[in-house]
Amino acid sequence: MINHYLALVKRELWEHRSIWVTPAAIASIVTLGTLAALMFAGEFAQELDVAIFGAQNLAGDAERRAVLTAFFVGSSWLFLLGLSILTIFYALDSLYAERKDKSILFWRSMPVTDAETVISKLVTALIVIPAVAIVAIVATHIVNLIVTSLWVSMKGGDAGLLIWGSVPLFDNWFAAIAVIYCFAIWMSPFLGWFLFVSAYTKRAPLLMAFLPLILIPMVEGIFMRSAHFAEAVWGRGAKIPLFSGMDIEAFFDEDKMRVNEEMVSLLSTIDFGKFVTSVDTWIGIIVCGLLTTAAIYVRRFRDES
Amino acid sequence: MTSLVSARGVSKHFGDVRAVDNVDFDIEKGKILGLIGPNGAGKTTLLKAVLGLTDCEGDLSVLGLDPFRQRKKLMQNICFIADVAVLPRWIKVSQLLDYVQAIHPNFSRSRAEELLKQTKVKPGAKVKELSKGMVTQLHLSIIMAIDAKLLVLDEPTIGLDILFRKEFYANLLSDYFDEERTILITTHQVEEIENLLTDIMFINDGKILLDSPMDALGNSYVELMTSGEEAIKARGLRPIAETEMFGKSVMLFDGITRDHLEGLGEIRVPSVADLFVAKIKEARR
Repeated sequence: MINHYLALVKRELWEHRSIWVTPAAIASIVTLGTLAALMFAGEFAQELDVAIFGAQNLAGDAERRAVLTAFFVGSSWLFLLGLSILTIFYALDSLYAERKDKSILFWRSMPVTDAETVISKLVTALIVIPAVAIVAIVATHIVNLIVTSLWVSMKGGDAGLLIWGSVPLFDNWFAAIAVIYCFAIWMSPFLGWFLFVSAYTKRAPLLMAFLPLILIPMVEGIFMRSAHFAEAVWGRGAKIPLFSGMDIEAFFDEDKMRVNEEMVSLLSTIDFGKFVTSVDTWIGIIVCGLLTTAAIYVRRFRDES
Repeated sequence: MTSLVSARGVSKHFGDVRAVDNVDFDIEKGKILGLIGPNGAGKTTLLKAVLGLTDCEGDLSVLGLDPFRQRKKLMQNICFIADVAVLPRWIKVSQLLDYVQAIHPNFSRSRAEELLKQTKVKPGAKVKELSKGMVTQLHLSIIMAIDAKLLVLDEPTIGLDILFRKEFYANLLSDYFDEERTILITTHQVEEIENLLTDIMFINDGKILLDSPMDALGNSYVELMTSGEEAIKARGLRPIAETEMFGKSVMLFDGITRDHLEGLGEIRVPSVADLFVAKIKEARR
Protein backbone atom coordinates (compact mmCIF):
# COMPACT_ATOMS: atom_id res chain seq x y z
CA MET A 1 0.00 0.00 0.00
CA ILE A 2 2.74 2.40 0.99
CA ASN A 3 4.58 1.50 -2.23
CA HIS A 4 1.52 2.58 -4.15
CA TYR A 5 1.68 6.10 -2.73
CA LEU A 6 5.47 6.29 -2.91
CA ALA A 7 5.27 5.47 -6.62
CA LEU A 8 2.88 8.37 -7.15
CA VAL A 9 5.27 10.79 -5.47
CA LYS A 10 8.31 9.29 -7.24
CA ARG A 11 6.57 9.88 -10.55
CA GLU A 12 6.29 13.58 -9.63
CA LEU A 13 10.02 13.74 -8.94
CA TRP A 14 10.78 12.06 -12.28
CA GLU A 15 8.58 14.40 -14.22
CA HIS A 16 9.46 17.62 -12.42
CA ARG A 17 13.21 17.57 -12.19
CA SER A 18 13.09 21.23 -11.15
CA ILE A 19 12.08 20.00 -7.67
CA TRP A 20 15.70 19.10 -6.99
CA VAL A 21 17.44 21.12 -9.69
CA THR A 22 16.19 24.45 -8.29
CA PRO A 23 17.46 23.92 -4.72
CA ALA A 24 20.72 22.54 -6.11
CA ALA A 25 21.09 25.65 -8.27
CA ILE A 26 20.43 27.97 -5.32
CA ALA A 27 22.92 25.99 -3.20
CA SER A 28 25.55 26.43 -5.92
CA ILE A 29 24.85 30.15 -6.19
CA VAL A 30 25.15 30.65 -2.42
CA THR A 31 28.39 28.67 -2.31
CA LEU A 32 29.85 30.52 -5.28
CA GLY A 33 28.81 33.78 -3.60
CA THR A 34 30.67 32.78 -0.43
CA LEU A 35 33.77 31.83 -2.42
CA ALA A 36 33.68 35.12 -4.31
CA ALA A 37 33.24 37.08 -1.09
CA LEU A 38 36.13 35.29 0.57
CA MET A 39 38.38 35.90 -2.42
CA PHE A 40 37.34 39.53 -2.53
CA ALA A 41 38.00 39.86 1.21
CA GLY A 42 41.58 38.73 0.58
CA GLU A 43 42.20 42.17 -0.98
CA PHE A 44 41.88 43.74 2.43
CA ALA A 45 44.54 41.78 4.25
CA GLN A 46 45.15 44.27 7.02
CA GLU A 47 41.55 44.96 7.86
CA LEU A 48 40.96 41.25 7.81
CA ASP A 49 43.63 40.56 10.37
CA VAL A 50 42.10 43.17 12.64
CA ALA A 51 38.62 41.74 12.13
CA ILE A 52 39.66 38.17 12.88
CA PHE A 53 41.62 39.36 15.88
CA GLY A 54 38.60 41.33 17.06
CA ALA A 55 36.22 38.45 16.49
CA GLN A 56 38.46 36.13 18.46
CA ASN A 57 39.29 38.37 21.37
CA LEU A 58 36.78 41.13 21.76
CA ALA A 59 33.47 39.71 20.61
CA GLY A 60 31.81 37.06 22.73
CA ASP A 61 30.05 33.88 21.73
CA ALA A 62 26.74 35.68 21.39
CA GLU A 63 28.03 38.18 18.82
CA ARG A 64 29.64 35.44 16.77
CA ARG A 65 26.43 33.48 16.89
CA ALA A 66 24.48 36.52 15.80
CA VAL A 67 26.72 37.15 12.79
CA LEU A 68 26.63 33.52 11.65
CA THR A 69 22.89 33.33 12.17
CA ALA A 70 22.43 36.41 10.02
CA PHE A 71 24.33 34.68 7.22
CA PHE A 72 22.26 31.53 7.66
CA VAL A 73 18.97 33.35 7.64
CA GLY A 74 19.98 35.21 4.51
CA SER A 75 20.66 32.02 2.57
CA SER A 76 17.56 30.28 3.97
CA TRP A 77 15.34 33.10 2.75
CA LEU A 78 16.82 32.69 -0.68
CA PHE A 79 15.75 29.06 -0.59
CA LEU A 80 12.28 29.98 0.63
CA LEU A 81 11.90 32.41 -2.26
CA GLY A 82 13.10 29.82 -4.78
CA LEU A 83 10.85 27.22 -3.20
CA SER A 84 7.80 29.47 -3.50
CA ILE A 85 8.36 30.17 -7.18
CA LEU A 86 9.10 26.50 -7.85
CA THR A 87 5.89 25.45 -6.10
CA ILE A 88 3.78 27.86 -8.16
CA PHE A 89 5.14 26.49 -11.42
CA TYR A 90 4.97 22.90 -10.22
CA ALA A 91 1.34 23.14 -9.10
CA LEU A 92 0.24 24.92 -12.27
CA ASP A 93 1.91 22.27 -14.41
CA SER A 94 0.93 19.22 -12.39
CA LEU A 95 -2.57 18.64 -13.76
CA TYR A 96 -2.19 20.63 -16.97
CA ALA A 97 0.81 18.91 -18.58
CA GLU A 98 -0.83 15.47 -18.51
CA ARG A 99 -3.77 16.85 -20.48
CA LYS A 100 -1.57 18.82 -22.85
CA ASP A 101 0.63 15.84 -23.76
CA LYS A 102 -2.45 13.56 -23.67
CA SER A 103 -0.86 11.13 -21.25
CA ILE A 104 -3.84 11.55 -18.90
CA LEU A 105 -5.61 8.55 -20.43
CA PHE A 106 -2.57 6.41 -19.77
CA TRP A 107 -2.44 7.54 -16.14
CA ARG A 108 -6.15 6.93 -15.82
CA SER A 109 -5.77 3.43 -17.26
CA MET A 110 -3.89 2.55 -14.09
CA PRO A 111 -5.70 1.55 -10.90
CA VAL A 112 -5.27 4.93 -9.21
CA THR A 113 -8.19 7.15 -8.27
CA ASP A 114 -8.36 10.78 -9.30
CA ALA A 115 -8.34 11.74 -5.62
CA GLU A 116 -5.11 9.80 -5.06
CA THR A 117 -3.50 11.46 -8.07
CA VAL A 118 -4.44 15.00 -7.09
CA ILE A 119 -3.53 14.43 -3.44
CA SER A 120 -0.13 13.03 -4.49
CA LYS A 121 0.49 16.36 -6.18
CA LEU A 122 -0.67 18.30 -3.13
CA VAL A 123 1.61 16.19 -0.92
CA THR A 124 4.53 16.73 -3.29
CA ALA A 125 4.06 20.49 -3.12
CA LEU A 126 3.35 20.64 0.60
CA ILE A 127 5.81 18.06 1.97
CA VAL A 128 8.29 16.81 -0.63
CA ILE A 129 9.36 20.10 -2.23
CA PRO A 130 9.99 21.72 1.21
CA ALA A 131 11.87 18.58 2.34
CA VAL A 132 14.19 18.74 -0.67
CA ALA A 133 14.75 22.45 0.02
CA ILE A 134 15.56 21.75 3.68
CA VAL A 135 18.12 19.11 2.71
CA ALA A 136 19.63 21.67 0.32
CA ILE A 137 19.70 24.31 3.07
CA VAL A 138 21.48 21.98 5.50
CA ALA A 139 23.97 20.89 2.83
CA THR A 140 24.61 24.52 1.82
CA HIS A 141 25.24 25.54 5.40
CA ILE A 142 27.67 22.68 6.00
CA VAL A 143 29.58 23.25 2.75
CA ASN A 144 29.79 26.98 3.38
CA LEU A 145 30.94 26.52 6.95
CA ILE A 146 33.66 24.13 5.81
CA VAL A 147 34.80 26.57 3.11
CA THR A 148 34.74 29.50 5.52
CA SER A 149 36.54 27.67 8.30
CA LEU A 150 39.28 26.55 5.91
CA TRP A 151 39.64 30.15 4.85
CA VAL A 152 39.70 31.45 8.43
CA SER A 153 42.39 28.88 9.28
CA MET A 154 44.44 29.98 6.29
CA LYS A 155 44.21 33.52 7.57
CA GLY A 156 45.52 32.42 10.93
CA GLY A 157 42.19 32.48 12.75
CA ASP A 158 40.89 29.78 15.05
CA ALA A 159 38.10 28.17 12.99
CA GLY A 160 37.16 25.90 15.86
CA LEU A 161 36.34 28.87 18.05
CA LEU A 162 35.15 31.34 15.45
CA ILE A 163 32.98 29.05 13.35
CA TRP A 164 32.23 25.63 14.77
CA GLY A 165 32.21 26.66 18.41
CA SER A 166 29.87 29.52 17.72
CA VAL A 167 27.49 28.30 15.10
CA PRO A 168 23.98 27.53 16.37
CA LEU A 169 23.46 24.91 13.67
CA PHE A 170 20.50 23.04 15.07
CA ASP A 171 18.72 26.16 16.22
CA ASN A 172 19.01 27.44 12.67
CA TRP A 173 17.96 24.22 11.04
CA PHE A 174 14.97 23.57 13.23
CA ALA A 175 13.91 27.15 12.72
CA ALA A 176 14.25 26.72 8.94
CA ILE A 177 12.16 23.52 9.05
CA ALA A 178 9.50 25.22 11.16
CA VAL A 179 9.33 28.36 9.04
CA ILE A 180 9.27 26.49 5.73
CA TYR A 181 6.56 24.01 6.69
CA CYS A 182 4.41 26.60 8.47
CA PHE A 183 4.80 28.92 5.49
CA ALA A 184 3.78 26.08 3.15
CA ILE A 185 0.65 25.44 5.22
CA TRP A 186 -0.03 29.16 5.54
CA MET A 187 0.14 29.64 1.78
CA SER A 188 -1.71 26.39 1.00
CA PRO A 189 -4.92 28.12 -0.18
CA PHE A 190 -2.84 29.40 -3.10
CA LEU A 191 -1.56 25.90 -3.72
CA GLY A 192 -5.17 24.68 -3.84
CA TRP A 193 -6.01 27.46 -6.26
CA PHE A 194 -3.08 26.62 -8.53
CA LEU A 195 -4.01 22.93 -8.55
CA PHE A 196 -7.58 23.81 -9.42
CA VAL A 197 -6.51 26.13 -12.27
CA SER A 198 -4.08 23.46 -13.48
CA ALA A 199 -6.90 20.90 -13.63
CA TYR A 200 -9.42 23.30 -15.11
CA THR A 201 -7.77 25.57 -17.65
CA LYS A 202 -7.57 24.71 -21.32
CA ARG A 203 -4.59 27.00 -21.90
CA ALA A 204 -2.07 29.37 -20.28
CA PRO A 205 -2.33 28.20 -16.65
CA LEU A 206 0.00 30.91 -15.31
CA LEU A 207 -2.10 33.66 -16.85
CA MET A 208 -5.38 32.03 -15.83
CA ALA A 209 -4.15 31.67 -12.25
CA PHE A 210 -2.95 35.23 -11.80
CA LEU A 211 -5.48 37.15 -13.88
CA PRO A 212 -8.29 36.82 -11.31
CA LEU A 213 -5.86 37.64 -8.50
CA ILE A 214 -5.07 40.91 -10.29
CA LEU A 215 -8.47 41.77 -11.76
CA ILE A 216 -10.65 41.12 -8.71
CA PRO A 217 -8.75 43.63 -6.51
CA MET A 218 -9.00 46.18 -9.34
CA VAL A 219 -12.75 45.66 -9.70
CA GLU A 220 -13.19 45.80 -5.94
CA GLY A 221 -11.14 49.00 -5.76
CA ILE A 222 -13.11 50.68 -8.50
CA PHE A 223 -16.63 49.69 -7.49
CA MET A 224 -16.44 49.24 -3.75
CA ARG A 225 -13.50 51.48 -2.95
CA SER A 226 -12.13 48.80 -0.67
CA ALA A 227 -9.20 46.40 -0.77
CA HIS A 228 -10.29 43.38 1.24
CA PHE A 229 -9.53 40.88 -1.49
CA ALA A 230 -6.15 42.40 -2.32
CA GLU A 231 -5.23 42.35 1.34
CA ALA A 232 -6.36 38.77 1.82
CA VAL A 233 -4.48 37.58 -1.25
CA TRP A 234 -1.42 39.73 -1.77
CA GLY A 235 -0.97 40.60 1.88
CA ARG A 236 -1.27 37.06 3.19
CA GLY A 237 2.39 36.01 2.94
CA ALA A 238 3.60 38.77 5.25
CA LYS A 239 0.86 38.16 7.79
CA ILE A 240 1.90 34.67 8.85
CA PRO A 241 1.15 34.43 12.57
CA LEU A 242 4.31 32.51 13.43
CA PHE A 243 6.77 34.99 14.89
CA SER A 244 6.56 36.35 18.37
CA GLY A 245 8.54 39.41 17.35
CA MET A 246 12.01 40.27 18.56
CA ASP A 247 12.47 42.33 21.66
CA ILE A 248 15.30 44.63 20.55
CA GLU A 249 15.91 45.94 24.06
CA ALA A 250 16.34 42.47 25.46
CA PHE A 251 18.42 41.43 22.47
CA PHE A 252 21.09 44.05 23.06
CA ASP A 253 22.05 44.52 26.67
CA GLU A 254 23.02 48.21 26.78
CA ASP A 255 24.57 48.03 30.21
CA LYS A 256 27.07 45.43 29.18
CA MET A 257 27.21 46.65 25.56
CA ARG A 258 26.80 43.05 24.58
CA VAL A 259 24.32 40.89 22.70
CA ASN A 260 22.26 38.94 25.20
CA GLU A 261 23.30 35.35 24.63
CA GLU A 262 19.94 33.71 25.25
CA MET A 263 18.35 35.93 22.67
CA VAL A 264 20.48 34.73 19.76
CA SER A 265 18.09 31.98 18.80
CA LEU A 266 15.82 31.86 15.81
CA LEU A 267 13.69 29.19 17.40
CA SER A 268 12.92 31.50 20.32
CA THR A 269 11.26 33.92 17.88
CA ILE A 270 8.88 31.23 16.62
CA ASP A 271 5.53 30.87 18.32
CA PHE A 272 3.81 27.66 17.24
CA GLY A 273 0.89 28.20 19.58
CA LYS A 274 0.07 31.42 17.80
CA PHE A 275 0.24 29.71 14.41
CA VAL A 276 -1.88 26.72 15.36
CA THR A 277 -4.53 28.74 17.18
CA SER A 278 -4.86 31.41 14.51
CA VAL A 279 -8.23 31.31 12.79
CA ASP A 280 -6.55 32.49 9.59
CA THR A 281 -4.35 29.39 9.52
CA TRP A 282 -7.42 27.15 9.61
CA ILE A 283 -9.36 29.19 7.10
CA GLY A 284 -6.38 28.76 4.78
CA ILE A 285 -6.35 24.99 5.29
CA ILE A 286 -10.08 24.77 4.60
CA VAL A 287 -9.81 26.87 1.44
CA CYS A 288 -6.95 24.64 0.28
CA GLY A 289 -9.08 21.55 0.97
CA LEU A 290 -12.06 22.92 -0.95
CA LEU A 291 -10.00 23.93 -3.97
CA THR A 292 -8.17 20.59 -4.00
CA THR A 293 -11.52 18.79 -3.90
CA ALA A 294 -12.66 20.94 -6.83
CA ALA A 295 -9.49 19.93 -8.73
CA ILE A 296 -10.28 16.24 -8.07
CA TYR A 297 -13.81 16.67 -9.39
CA VAL A 298 -12.66 18.46 -12.50
CA ARG A 299 -10.19 15.67 -13.28
CA ARG A 300 -12.82 13.04 -12.63
CA PHE A 301 -15.75 14.51 -14.49
CA ARG A 302 -14.24 16.32 -17.41
CA ASP A 303 -14.42 14.49 -20.69
CA GLU A 304 -11.09 14.87 -22.43
CA SER A 305 -12.17 13.93 -25.92
CA MET B 1 -22.13 -18.18 -19.63
CA THR B 2 -21.32 -15.15 -17.54
CA SER B 3 -21.34 -11.67 -18.97
CA LEU B 4 -18.23 -9.62 -18.41
CA VAL B 5 -19.94 -6.49 -19.57
CA SER B 6 -23.65 -5.98 -19.38
CA ALA B 7 -25.41 -2.85 -20.64
CA ARG B 8 -29.11 -2.13 -20.33
CA GLY B 9 -30.55 1.12 -21.61
CA VAL B 10 -27.19 2.86 -21.57
CA SER B 11 -27.26 6.43 -22.88
CA LYS B 12 -24.92 9.36 -22.85
CA HIS B 13 -25.67 12.75 -24.26
CA PHE B 14 -23.74 15.94 -24.66
CA GLY B 15 -26.30 18.72 -24.75
CA ASP B 16 -28.79 17.70 -27.44
CA VAL B 17 -26.49 15.20 -29.07
CA ARG B 18 -27.11 11.61 -28.09
CA ALA B 19 -23.69 10.06 -28.42
CA VAL B 20 -24.93 6.73 -27.09
CA ASP B 21 -28.65 6.16 -27.36
CA ASN B 22 -30.30 3.57 -25.16
CA VAL B 23 -28.13 0.57 -26.03
CA ASP B 24 -28.31 -2.98 -24.68
CA PHE B 25 -25.53 -5.51 -25.12
CA ASP B 26 -23.48 -8.15 -23.36
CA ILE B 27 -19.88 -9.19 -23.77
CA GLU B 28 -19.05 -12.69 -22.68
CA LYS B 29 -15.81 -14.13 -21.39
CA GLY B 30 -13.29 -15.39 -23.94
CA LYS B 31 -14.60 -13.30 -26.82
CA ILE B 32 -12.87 -10.88 -29.13
CA LEU B 33 -15.50 -8.31 -29.95
CA GLY B 34 -15.01 -5.78 -32.71
CA LEU B 35 -16.91 -2.53 -32.24
CA ILE B 36 -17.22 -0.94 -35.64
CA GLY B 37 -18.69 2.41 -36.51
CA PRO B 38 -18.05 5.56 -38.53
CA ASN B 39 -16.48 8.64 -36.94
CA GLY B 40 -18.76 10.19 -34.38
CA ALA B 41 -20.88 7.04 -34.10
CA GLY B 42 -20.42 6.87 -30.35
CA LYS B 43 -17.75 4.16 -30.22
CA THR B 44 -15.32 6.10 -28.11
CA THR B 45 -18.04 7.38 -25.79
CA LEU B 46 -19.30 3.85 -25.26
CA LEU B 47 -15.78 2.62 -24.54
CA LYS B 48 -15.25 5.47 -22.12
CA ALA B 49 -18.40 4.50 -20.27
CA VAL B 50 -17.18 0.88 -20.10
CA LEU B 51 -13.80 2.07 -18.82
CA GLY B 52 -15.34 4.32 -16.18
CA LEU B 53 -13.90 7.43 -17.75
CA THR B 54 -17.28 9.00 -18.21
CA ASP B 55 -20.59 8.78 -16.40
CA CYS B 56 -23.67 7.51 -18.25
CA GLU B 57 -27.37 6.82 -17.79
CA GLY B 58 -28.81 3.33 -17.62
CA ASP B 59 -27.40 0.15 -16.11
CA LEU B 60 -23.84 -0.62 -17.02
CA SER B 61 -21.93 -3.30 -15.22
CA VAL B 62 -18.35 -4.28 -16.04
CA LEU B 63 -16.90 -7.28 -14.19
CA GLY B 64 -19.78 -6.80 -11.80
CA LEU B 65 -18.67 -3.26 -10.97
CA ASP B 66 -20.07 0.19 -11.62
CA PRO B 67 -17.28 1.44 -13.88
CA PHE B 68 -17.53 5.14 -13.11
CA ARG B 69 -17.84 4.79 -9.36
CA GLN B 70 -15.44 1.89 -8.90
CA ARG B 71 -12.83 2.83 -11.49
CA LYS B 72 -9.80 2.03 -9.36
CA LYS B 73 -10.98 -1.51 -8.63
CA LEU B 74 -12.02 -1.94 -12.25
CA MET B 75 -8.61 -0.87 -13.54
CA GLN B 76 -6.97 -3.70 -11.63
CA ASN B 77 -8.69 -6.08 -14.03
CA ILE B 78 -9.05 -4.01 -17.18
CA CYS B 79 -6.37 -2.68 -19.47
CA PHE B 80 -6.81 -0.27 -22.30
CA ILE B 81 -4.91 1.38 -25.07
CA ALA B 82 -6.68 4.29 -26.70
CA ASP B 83 -5.37 6.05 -29.77
CA VAL B 84 -5.17 9.15 -27.65
CA ALA B 85 -3.74 7.45 -24.54
CA VAL B 86 -0.21 8.52 -25.20
CA LEU B 87 2.60 7.47 -22.92
CA PRO B 88 4.15 10.47 -21.16
CA ARG B 89 7.04 11.70 -23.27
CA TRP B 90 9.38 12.56 -20.39
CA ILE B 91 9.37 9.13 -18.79
CA LYS B 92 12.12 6.53 -19.14
CA VAL B 93 11.17 2.98 -20.07
CA SER B 94 12.63 1.67 -16.80
CA GLN B 95 10.71 4.31 -14.80
CA LEU B 96 7.52 3.33 -16.54
CA LEU B 97 8.07 -0.30 -15.55
CA ASP B 98 8.88 0.75 -11.96
CA TYR B 99 5.69 2.77 -11.82
CA VAL B 100 3.36 0.11 -13.20
CA GLN B 101 5.01 -2.51 -10.99
CA ALA B 102 4.33 -0.44 -7.87
CA ILE B 103 0.81 0.58 -8.91
CA HIS B 104 -0.62 -2.49 -10.59
CA PRO B 105 -1.26 -5.63 -8.52
CA ASN B 106 -1.54 -7.83 -11.63
CA PHE B 107 1.57 -6.68 -13.47
CA SER B 108 4.47 -9.02 -14.15
CA ARG B 109 7.64 -7.04 -14.68
CA SER B 110 9.64 -10.03 -15.89
CA ARG B 111 6.98 -10.71 -18.52
CA ALA B 112 7.10 -7.09 -19.72
CA GLU B 113 10.90 -7.19 -19.89
CA GLU B 114 10.76 -10.45 -21.82
CA LEU B 115 8.36 -8.91 -24.34
CA LEU B 116 10.46 -5.75 -24.63
CA LYS B 117 13.56 -7.83 -25.39
CA GLN B 118 11.88 -8.83 -28.63
CA THR B 119 11.70 -5.17 -29.66
CA LYS B 120 14.27 -2.42 -30.15
CA VAL B 121 13.03 -0.54 -27.10
CA LYS B 122 15.89 -0.08 -24.60
CA PRO B 123 15.16 0.25 -20.85
CA GLY B 124 17.23 3.43 -20.55
CA ALA B 125 15.47 5.24 -23.39
CA LYS B 126 12.97 7.99 -22.85
CA VAL B 127 9.59 7.72 -24.53
CA LYS B 128 10.24 10.91 -26.52
CA GLU B 129 13.26 9.25 -28.12
CA LEU B 130 11.18 6.36 -29.47
CA SER B 131 9.35 6.19 -32.79
CA LYS B 132 5.56 5.97 -32.78
CA GLY B 133 5.72 2.27 -33.58
CA MET B 134 8.13 1.64 -30.73
CA VAL B 135 5.93 3.57 -28.28
CA THR B 136 3.03 1.32 -29.26
CA GLN B 137 5.21 -1.77 -28.80
CA LEU B 138 6.20 -0.49 -25.36
CA HIS B 139 2.60 0.18 -24.43
CA LEU B 140 1.50 -3.22 -25.70
CA SER B 141 4.33 -4.97 -23.82
CA ILE B 142 3.14 -3.38 -20.59
CA ILE B 143 -0.49 -4.19 -21.28
CA MET B 144 0.27 -7.79 -22.20
CA ALA B 145 2.22 -8.22 -18.95
CA ILE B 146 -0.88 -7.30 -16.97
CA ASP B 147 -3.09 -10.22 -16.08
CA ALA B 148 -6.37 -8.51 -16.94
CA LYS B 149 -9.80 -9.97 -17.55
CA LEU B 150 -10.75 -7.42 -20.19
CA LEU B 151 -8.54 -5.60 -22.66
CA VAL B 152 -9.98 -2.62 -24.48
CA LEU B 153 -8.25 -1.35 -27.59
CA ASP B 154 -9.50 1.87 -29.14
CA GLU B 155 -7.92 2.38 -32.56
CA PRO B 156 -4.69 0.93 -31.18
CA THR B 157 -2.77 0.88 -34.43
CA ILE B 158 -3.68 4.28 -35.79
CA GLY B 159 -0.71 6.01 -37.42
CA LEU B 160 1.35 2.83 -37.59
CA ASP B 161 2.66 1.31 -40.77
CA ILE B 162 1.36 -1.99 -42.07
CA LEU B 163 4.26 -4.05 -40.68
CA PHE B 164 3.68 -2.83 -37.15
CA ARG B 165 -0.06 -3.30 -37.47
CA LYS B 166 0.26 -6.92 -38.58
CA GLU B 167 2.77 -7.62 -35.85
CA PHE B 168 0.59 -5.93 -33.26
CA TYR B 169 -2.36 -8.22 -33.89
CA ALA B 170 -0.18 -11.29 -34.31
CA ASN B 171 1.41 -10.66 -30.90
CA LEU B 172 -1.95 -10.04 -29.37
CA LEU B 173 -3.27 -13.40 -30.51
CA SER B 174 -0.20 -15.52 -29.90
CA ASP B 175 1.15 -14.01 -26.69
CA TYR B 176 -1.91 -12.68 -24.96
CA PHE B 177 -5.27 -14.07 -25.82
CA ASP B 178 -6.66 -17.20 -24.17
CA GLU B 179 -10.09 -18.35 -23.06
CA GLU B 180 -9.74 -16.46 -19.79
CA ARG B 181 -9.24 -13.15 -21.56
CA THR B 182 -11.69 -10.95 -23.37
CA ILE B 183 -10.83 -8.26 -25.86
CA LEU B 184 -12.95 -5.34 -27.00
CA ILE B 185 -11.52 -3.59 -30.00
CA THR B 186 -12.49 -0.68 -32.23
CA THR B 187 -10.89 0.24 -35.49
CA HIS B 188 -11.51 1.82 -38.85
CA GLN B 189 -9.52 -0.85 -40.58
CA VAL B 190 -12.09 -3.62 -40.36
CA GLU B 191 -10.36 -5.87 -42.90
CA GLU B 192 -7.31 -6.09 -40.69
CA ILE B 193 -9.10 -7.53 -37.71
CA GLU B 194 -12.06 -9.38 -39.15
CA ASN B 195 -10.21 -12.68 -39.07
CA LEU B 196 -9.43 -12.45 -35.41
CA LEU B 197 -12.86 -11.44 -34.16
CA THR B 198 -15.27 -13.88 -32.57
CA ASP B 199 -18.08 -11.34 -32.35
CA ILE B 200 -18.97 -8.12 -34.04
CA MET B 201 -21.03 -5.08 -33.18
CA PHE B 202 -21.91 -2.17 -35.48
CA ILE B 203 -22.76 1.18 -34.02
CA ASN B 204 -24.09 4.28 -35.74
CA ASP B 205 -25.57 7.49 -34.35
CA GLY B 206 -25.32 6.03 -30.88
CA LYS B 207 -27.43 2.98 -31.75
CA ILE B 208 -26.41 -0.63 -32.22
CA LEU B 209 -27.16 -1.81 -35.76
CA LEU B 210 -25.77 -5.31 -35.46
CA ASP B 211 -24.59 -7.49 -32.61
CA SER B 212 -23.69 -11.01 -33.71
CA PRO B 213 -21.12 -13.79 -33.43
CA MET B 214 -18.91 -13.81 -36.52
CA ASP B 215 -19.79 -17.40 -37.46
CA ALA B 216 -23.51 -16.55 -37.48
CA LEU B 217 -23.03 -13.80 -40.02
CA GLY B 218 -22.94 -16.32 -42.89
CA ASN B 219 -26.35 -17.63 -41.87
CA SER B 220 -28.02 -14.24 -41.59
CA TYR B 221 -26.38 -12.37 -44.42
CA VAL B 222 -25.83 -13.48 -47.96
CA GLU B 223 -24.21 -11.66 -50.84
CA LEU B 224 -25.38 -12.35 -54.36
CA MET B 225 -23.65 -11.36 -57.57
CA THR B 226 -26.09 -11.38 -60.43
CA SER B 227 -27.29 -9.66 -63.61
CA GLY B 228 -30.13 -9.49 -66.14
CA GLU B 229 -33.37 -11.37 -65.50
CA GLU B 230 -32.05 -12.96 -62.32
CA ALA B 231 -31.19 -9.53 -60.97
CA ILE B 232 -34.79 -8.39 -61.34
CA LYS B 233 -36.02 -11.53 -59.59
CA ALA B 234 -33.47 -11.10 -56.83
CA ARG B 235 -34.45 -7.46 -56.39
CA GLY B 236 -37.95 -8.72 -55.61
CA LEU B 237 -36.52 -10.39 -52.49
CA ARG B 238 -35.69 -6.91 -51.16
CA PRO B 239 -31.91 -6.77 -50.69
CA ILE B 240 -30.72 -4.34 -48.03
CA ALA B 241 -28.05 -3.02 -50.36
CA GLU B 242 -27.16 -3.12 -54.02
CA THR B 243 -23.98 -2.00 -55.77
CA GLU B 244 -22.68 -2.29 -59.32
CA MET B 245 -19.45 -4.14 -60.00
CA PHE B 246 -18.04 -5.08 -63.43
CA GLY B 247 -21.45 -4.59 -64.93
CA LYS B 248 -23.03 -6.94 -62.42
CA SER B 249 -25.25 -6.22 -59.45
CA VAL B 250 -23.98 -7.15 -56.02
CA MET B 251 -26.89 -7.50 -53.59
CA LEU B 252 -26.84 -8.08 -49.89
CA PHE B 253 -29.68 -9.92 -48.21
CA ASP B 254 -30.64 -10.03 -44.58
CA GLY B 255 -32.58 -13.08 -43.35
CA ILE B 256 -32.99 -14.64 -46.79
CA THR B 257 -31.66 -18.20 -46.84
CA ARG B 258 -29.25 -19.44 -49.45
CA ASP B 259 -31.93 -21.81 -50.80
CA HIS B 260 -34.06 -18.86 -51.85
CA LEU B 261 -31.21 -17.38 -53.85
CA GLU B 262 -30.03 -20.64 -55.41
CA GLY B 263 -29.87 -20.31 -59.18
CA LEU B 264 -30.04 -16.51 -59.13
CA GLY B 265 -26.28 -15.99 -59.33
CA GLU B 266 -23.08 -16.35 -57.40
CA ILE B 267 -23.61 -16.65 -53.62
CA ARG B 268 -21.01 -15.56 -51.05
CA VAL B 269 -20.65 -14.63 -47.39
CA PRO B 270 -20.30 -10.84 -47.40
CA SER B 271 -17.15 -9.23 -46.02
CA VAL B 272 -17.54 -7.31 -42.79
CA ALA B 273 -16.68 -4.10 -44.60
CA ASP B 274 -19.45 -4.61 -47.19
CA LEU B 275 -21.91 -5.58 -44.53
CA PHE B 276 -20.97 -2.54 -42.54
CA VAL B 277 -21.48 -0.17 -45.44
CA ALA B 278 -24.83 -1.79 -46.24
CA LYS B 279 -26.02 -1.56 -42.65
CA ILE B 280 -25.02 2.08 -42.33
CA LYS B 281 -26.79 2.94 -45.61
CA GLU B 282 -29.85 1.05 -44.50
CA ALA B 283 -29.90 2.93 -41.20
CA ARG B 284 -29.59 6.30 -42.91
CA ARG B 285 -32.40 5.61 -45.35
